[in-house]
Amino acid sequence: MLIVEDVRAGYGRLEILQGVSLRVPAGALIGIIGPNGAGKSTLLKTVVGYLRVTAGRVAFEERTLAGLRPDQAMRRGLGYVAQDGGLFADMTVHDNLVLGGYALPSRRAVRAAVEAALERFPLLRDRRRQVAGSLSGGEQRLLALARALVTRPRLLLVDEPSAALAPGMIDRVYEDLVALHRSGLALLVVEQNVEAILAVADRVFVLDLGRNAFDGTAAELRDSDRVRRLYLGEAAA
Amino acid sequence: MSRGRRRWIAGWTVLALAGLLPALVPHPFVLTLAAQAAVWALLAASWDLLSGYTGQVSFGHAGFFAVGAYAAATATKHAGLSPWLGLPFGAAVAGALGLLAGFPALRLRGHYLALVTLGLAEIVRLVAQNWLALTGGPFGIHDFATYPGLPAGALGLRQARYLVTLGVAAAAVAAMAFVCETTAAGRAFRAIREDEVLATSLGINTTLYKLLAFGLSAAFAGLAGTLYAYDVQLVSPSVASAGTTSLVIGMAVFGGLGTIWGPALGALLLFAVSEGLRFVGVVYNLIAVGLVIVVFVVFLPRGLAGLRRSP
Amino acid sequence: MLESLLEFAIQGIVLGGLYALFAVGLSLIFGVLDVINVAHGEFFALGGYLAFAGIVLLHWPAAAGVLGAAVGTFLLGLAVHPLLLGPLRRRLGRRPAGPLYLVLTLGLSTFLQSSLLLAAGGDYLRVPPHVRGILDLGVTAVAYQRLLVLGTAVVALAGLFAFLAFHRQGLAIRAVAQNPEAAQAMGIPLGRAFTLTVALGVGLAGLGGALMAPLFNVYPAVGFPLTIKAFAIVILGGMGNLAGALLASFVVSLVEAFSVMAIPSEWQNMIAFLVMILVLLLRPQGLLGRAVVR
Repeated sequence: MLIVEDVRAGYGRLEILQGVSLRVPAGALIGIIGPNGAGKSTLLKTVVGYLRVTAGRVAFEERTLAGLRPDQAMRRGLGYVAQDGGLFADMTVHDNLVLGGYALPSRRAVRAAVEAALERFPLLRDRRRQVAGSLSGGEQRLLALARALVTRPRLLLVDEPSAALAPGMIDRVYEDLVALHRSGLALLVVEQNVEAILAVADRVFVLDLGRNAFDGTAAELRDSDRVRRLYLGEAAA
Repeated sequence: MSRGRRRWIAGWTVLALAGLLPALVPHPFVLTLAAQAAVWALLAASWDLLSGYTGQVSFGHAGFFAVGAYAAATATKHAGLSPWLGLPFGAAVAGALGLLAGFPALRLRGHYLALVTLGLAEIVRLVAQNWLALTGGPFGIHDFATYPGLPAGALGLRQARYLVTLGVAAAAVAAMAFVCETTAAGRAFRAIREDEVLATSLGINTTLYKLLAFGLSAAFAGLAGTLYAYDVQLVSPSVASAGTTSLVIGMAVFGGLGTIWGPALGALLLFAVSEGLRFVGVVYNLIAVGLVIVVFVVFLPRGLAGLRRSP
Repeated sequence: MLESLLEFAIQGIVLGGLYALFAVGLSLIFGVLDVINVAHGEFFALGGYLAFAGIVLLHWPAAAGVLGAAVGTFLLGLAVHPLLLGPLRRRLGRRPAGPLYLVLTLGLSTFLQSSLLLAAGGDYLRVPPHVRGILDLGVTAVAYQRLLVLGTAVVALAGLFAFLAFHRQGLAIRAVAQNPEAAQAMGIPLGRAFTLTVALGVGLAGLGGALMAPLFNVYPAVGFPLTIKAFAIVILGGMGNLAGALLASFVVSLVEAFSVMAIPSEWQNMIAFLVMILVLLLRPQGLLGRAVVR
């Protein structure tokens, strides 16, 4: 579904991705882990189109994404949840969800998609008229997720869904991610919380210093001495 | 001698000769235009010292220019100050106003600063227009002495006055280029432009240098104003108009920001184009200035100087 | 005494409506694009010229002339981002813009002003009042033309606020103002939001110019002093804060109107700048604080 091949990208002359490859098959839940500065978030931003691909290939459903702006990539069926959620903090929960439906063809489609999102996240229904910035950290994360669903993506890219959340809330967010995965949505999730992502992902890619370091199923990662020592050490401790 | 150095000397020699040329032309109109070109070059370079080097955008240089011109003209007319002393006096008054304007600049950046300086220039203009006793009101101030000790005779005086204007302007531009390119202050200016926080952490006293840049820039703009006053012999409120600032900024962008010589050269060229077009029609020269600004900002943001650096 | 107080108040409120049309658009453009449009006043002047062309030259009814002027400026405004601001934005990429946008719109201002001079000459053009007659209030009277200016300003601004609050494209504009990257992730093309914002902002200025044409004369530089004053108003209201700009418009216009009693009218124009400098020194975030378009 998504193919990333030998991609190089970065900020101006600062090249952060130095040849990264990965694949997301249709309907799969794929994780990306790695130390700080490995280029995990940069990879998502590059796929979505915030950063320019300087070399290599990014293709979604057999069509290249190179040269597309983020708004064009979204119309192709990608969804993106930024690490900080990317909410419009001064606007209401309702308006945030409606904006998720910006690219939908009709008002009716927007209304239906917003209704479906509220159905899935009933907690947001009570907070509909509240300003997004006044929600708790966990509620904001759920809103960001709900809003991304309103865009009707076929592949959802999520940057660190567990960051800065209380443990109970992390479980809650992951329950939702797994439910989305079961309903057929493909997911590509960047995560610092190795345990959380290993527990649910079909396959996990390890990035280090802008390159692929390892990839495999959760079991294969745990079996590899090198991976355990270098990348799972903190989480196991 | 290296090739670059030879070219440098050749370039400045040509420019110096070109500057002396109008003095040989026995026509007051040519001399007036040439003197104005020198004044514009100095004013554009002074704007560059502040806005091009430290990145603090002034939209009020017409105000500093006008304050210098009015200070010199009124001091000479009402207090009998010798124009030779009027030059530093006008520059000092404008510099003092610049320091005063620099204080809000310590707290403001970018847009805010541009708007405050614009407001300041507008206040200068309104004062000039309405304080009849001192400034002569809308019609301006005239009938004041020019430099004493110059040769007598209408044309000889005119030629000598041009040489004074040219000499002072050239010396001032050279002084600014020296300060910006070779001294610690120049390095501090550039550091502030690139990253003020970083500059502070490197131990640069950004407060001091920002004030210094403001004071110096305003003083040189004021000096340009005094040269204008003694050459044209008339100062009216319109010199403080935003149109003056607009033209100066256009000249500086045309020449290339952050180089001093670029804006000075840009001023000479744009002034020539603008005056040349005046013969076609008064309107066309301003349309051309507007177009030059727009085209250069969008397509050549580094100006003429950028062409030389990266062909 | 009461009579003149009331008269000053009416004058101030009508002028406030005009300032608001002008300053809210300027603040909108700043809030969304982070660009101060120095050429805003030239679109005001253009509105006046278009109204003159429609009403005086083509003998359109006044309402059609005013509407046509607003639409005409809006349409011209649609070209500003794609032709000027957008190319500069792409060229800059992630580098800081510094003074370049200010300088660019300054160049546009000079260009438009002198083009108007070329096209229409420097003469003061007169446009007859859109509506004639005077409303007698007993102690004082007010021309219907002034009430028309105020009423239209109120309706237009209410329309703008409703558009930003409820319409899909209005929401998109606010989204871009608050978080451009996230707005892109919603599928909103930044360029389209920017283009529409600039056109809306200058369209309001054009509407103001068309409305005021019978009260001011129309000449190429008619808008520039207004631009400078609007900077003061926008700063007073908090840059990018639309409600703040609205409030500040009336504060400045009323202070100006009443100041006539205390200081000579030649100095009146200075009040706005003194207020601006004071505000920047004492409360740089403005009356209502710096807020993006909300």
